[in-house]
Amino acid sequence: MRRIAAIFARTGHLGRRGEGLATHRRRPIRVRGLARLLTGFLVAAFISNPLGAQVGDVPPGDHGAVRRGEYLFSAAGCAGCHTDIKNRGPVGAGGRELKTPFGVFYGPNITSDPDHGIGRWSDADFIRALRHGVSPRGAHYYPVFPFTSFTKISDDDMRDLKAFLFSLPPSPTPNRAHDIRFPFNFRFAQYFWKLLFFDRGAFVDDAGRPAAVNRGAYLVTALGHCGECHTPRNLMGASDRGLAFAGTRNGPEGSNVPNITPDPETGIGRWSTGDLAELLKSGMTPDGDFVGGSMAEVVRETTSKLSENDRKAMVAYLRALPPIQNDLRGKSSPP
Amino acid sequence: MSMSQTVARLIALAVLVGTGAVAAQTAPSQVIGQRQDAMKGLGGAMKTLTPMVRGEQPWNQAEAVKAATTINNVSKAIPQVFPPGSGPESGVKTGALPIIWQQTADYQLKAKALEEASGVLLGLAQAGNSDGVKNQFGNVGKACGGCHEVYRAK
Repeated sequence: MRRIAAIFARTGHLGRRGEGLATHRRRPIRVRGLARLLTGFLVAAFISNPLGAQVGDVPPGDHGAVRRGEYLFSAAGCAGCHTDIKNRGPVGAGGRELKTPFGVFYGPNITSDPDHGIGRWSDADFIRALRHGVSPRGAHYYPVFPFTSFTKISDDDMRDLKAFLFSLPPSPTPNRAHDIRFPFNFRFAQYFWKLLFFDRGAFVDDAGRPAAVNRGAYLVTALGHCGECHTPRNLMGASDRGLAFAGTRNGPEGSNVPNITPDPETGIGRWSTGDLAELLKSGMTPDGDFVGGSMAEVVRETTSKLSENDRKAMVAYLRALPPIQNDLRGKSSPP
Repeated sequence: MSMSQTVARLIALAVLVGTGAVAAQTAPSQVIGQRQDAMKGLGGAMKTLTPMVRGEQPWNQAEAVKAATTINNVSKAIPQVFPPGSGPESGVKTGALPIIWQQTADYQLKAKALEEASGVLLGLAQAGNSDGVKNQFGNVGKACGGCHEVYRAK
């Protein structure tokens, strides 16, 4: 019965699933006929399983999962797009706008509201969204949602993250449609983009390096998605892997994003471990300045909320990166 | 320029701006230069306090009071060293964002937050309360970052 419910839910017969993130609605045709045949079962299925929950879902009220999920919510910087921080909007209710060369995106509602949020999503739906960049309805997300990084998050962490989201008060805030420039507004093109640029799969520890470096790699590349800003993008909006973490002059909203590889001249090669940990903790640079712009928000919402050990792990990973010389000075502005 | 000269100039600047003399009479390039010096002095003072706060250097009350005084003086000067016309539109290189002059009230509120936080810091330093300074240092930093997040280009 639960499987049937899940099939119905995917076809959209149980309500507006996936409303939260998808605008391009696609209904798998092969399931449509089946769905009609089984209409008689629909009511019973809905009653026994109103929100499409599936076997293996984290039970509601699992406080351990919620607590771990809250930490992950910070570590992954979810609030950056999914909370309207500036206007003190409800946590996870969306609304934050993100200007990109491809158009303006509005962070959707990821609270458990069944109509405007992700309240009807199962754990499997949630994992698919993060791991594959696909909505429960099968729509491909734009990489402005950093599934390219989140794909590396472990299944357990994804479940805990969802448990935290579902512990938040559901918000009835409707989503605002993205304002995307032609031709990027054709969402199916994302399928080809993924074929070219998307490496799917959970993070795997590298046995050849210290545990702290592995933990740091997970925090920086999977959860923290630091490379989404600190790695330059090509014309198709994909990360330029040859310049990983080497900074860019064309960061979000046209900002200058620094090189955080350990190059002594153009990167962080001359920063001490303490200097780097301090920046992540308080935003202070070695000359007593405090970072501004989006990094100030990252410090406040993410890195300052991490444990001392996790910050040290991030630093250990950054210091172990191959140094890349990439001089971004000249166009940056003094205070 | 030595550290003590910097401090002396900053105090002089604070006195001048207190009377409104600087903002009223200087060209954008001058006032931008002055505020960049002031901000550098502020950063330098934070840098002086950092090893004491982290416990990497022993508590030095004279140094701590001097640094806290600089921070507090500069915080009082901030609302005056951003006169209208001293943004990027002046053609002078500056990280100050035009939004400063679009929401002046909020901007001044943030400057006031630094003035208050650094006032507390100064009181604690003068009282020789090194633990208090350690705790308050973070609040001063939050006031710095809170303003930079909205009003500075990086």
